[in-house]
Amino acid sequence: MEAVVLDNLSKTYPGGKRAVQSVSLSLAPGEVFGFLGPNGAGKTSTVKMLNGILKPTEGGCRVFGYDPVKEPEKVHMISGIVTEHARMYDAMSGQDNLIFYAEVFGISGEEGKRRARELLEQMELTEAAERKLSAYSTGMRQRLSLARALLHHPRVLFLDEPTSGLDPESAQNVNRMIRSLAEKEGIAVFLCTHQLRYAQEICTRYGLIEEGRLLAEGTLEELRGKAFTESSVRIRTGQETMRLSIRSEKDIPGIVKQMVESGKDVYAVEEEVPTLEEIYFALTEGGKKQDE
Amino acid sequence: MNDRKKMAAIIRKDLRMLSANRRLFAALLCVPVILAVLLPSIFVGTIYAVPDDPDIYKLVEMLPEAMQAESLERTALQLIMNYVFPAFFLMIPIMASSVTAASSFVGEKEKSTLETLLYCPLSVRQIFQAKVLASFLLSMAVSLGSFLLMAVVLEGELFILMGWIMLPGANWIAVLLLLSPAVSLIAVTVIVRGSAKAQSVEESQQGAVFLIMPVLLLVVGQFTGVLLLDIRIMLGIGLVCALLAWVLIRKAAEKFNCEMLLM
Repeated sequence: MEAVVLDNLSKTYPGGKRAVQSVSLSLAPGEVFGFLGPNGAGKTSTVKMLNGILKPTEGGCRVFGYDPVKEPEKVHMISGIVTEHARMYDAMSGQDNLIFYAEVFGISGEEGKRRARELLEQMELTEAAERKLSAYSTGMRQRLSLARALLHHPRVLFLDEPTSGLDPESAQNVNRMIRSLAEKEGIAVFLCTHQLRYAQEICTRYGLIEEGRLLAEGTLEELRGKAFTESSVRIRTGQETMRLSIRSEKDIPGIVKQMVESGKDVYAVEEEVPTLEEIYFALTEGGKKQDE
Repeated sequence: MNDRKKMAAIIRKDLRMLSANRRLFAALLCVPVILAVLLPSIFVGTIYAVPDDPDIYKLVEMLPEAMQAESLERTALQLIMNYVFPAFFLMIPIMASSVTAASSFVGEKEKSTLETLLYCPLSVRQIFQAKVLASFLLSMAVSLGSFLLMAVVLEGELFILMGWIMLPGANWIAVLLLLSPAVSLIAVTVIVRGSAKAQSVEESQQGAVFLIMPVLLLVVGQFTGVLLLDIRIMLGIGLVCALLAWVLIRKAAEKFNCEMLLM
């Protein structure tokens, strides 16, 4: 069964703003899906519809077969959500916050405490466990939110900018943890971000959204194919470095062979693969403008 | 674990948070201290100090004969304790539930913690019920606590100053068991209905001002003798308020949804 399915999902707000327009995609268990787009592109509205917080105006969506509009409680029971608008209680300690949410998720007293301690340790927050949240930094709050989302062993994680406010080391740790959750526990991760470099590190598939429309969807290779018809290879021969266009990496051995046969010494060969950032800009209007 | 336990966790958390909030707690204690301790003490003191005050005499004269006690002091105290104070007392549950409901609903919306709660495996209706119940329970605790405090202070003062005590009349049964819970629920509903539009706790509390008006009229009516409420009338008003609370709370629960709250 697919973990998350969006079928022609659309949301128009009462004021007439079309936040999401006919988005269709699916996500399998164990996949880390990067939902990429600038602020206001419709990422958060999509996550809210997937959790039954907003009602779609057209189309629908399912999370492990449950319709969030009809059965939001069942969706919440198998989902963990981290968004910047879903905060925890400043007047309570980090540990008390986790124990409270554990109870609301049906995890009994002792088990809830044990799970809270375990997650605080994983998120490197053990020392701050007894401290009130008002004394937490943005990064600590973000890590605690992730701990909250994982309390009930969810089957799918919806993460909206999970590494915003984190220092590079913490961001890397969070990345590692998300990847491990997907690989080892088969959790499906729906990750919304505008930090493309970070997304390229952990996502297995991507969807690019702009002004509510899904521009492209696929693996990095598939998106590369959609954005660029050819790539390039950089070859260093003695003092000279040349850049040649190629259709695929299969062209490289032939080029190198030809150069060697013509008497040139080849010191280095490097294929220049477009990064996710380059692919993104090539596919979005912004990219087109930049190209012009 | 069933849904009731999950709801109980929200209620416990709300009660804990409300009682840990010093500013809110000060607001919660301020009105009961004035209405249940200060005002009654002033009345008792006045009656003790100037028993032949012409105003008190006029007030007592307006009473039906059946209500006249053996002395002027007793009659005046009986009037104040069983007719004026119960009406004053209704301000306590209104104030307490407005403060707690505003903090519980709008306060959570203001601090972006309500959205996190909406991602929990409970229906929006269950979250609504849990939060209404938490506000209601705290309001009732404040009301009952205020009554006990007033009774102890008043009886103590009477015993020390006059040498006798006067037990609260039957009107208090209607006030404590019917009117207080009903007006408390009405106040919670008014705040919840306003919580969709209100962006701050203070803004949402303004709605409760309209509830104070009828209570003030009741107090004025009791003082001037225009409207003296006996137990039957009190029970009647209580039943009407309870019915109104039930209708309002059902309507508020129907309208309570995520989009309304987070817009």
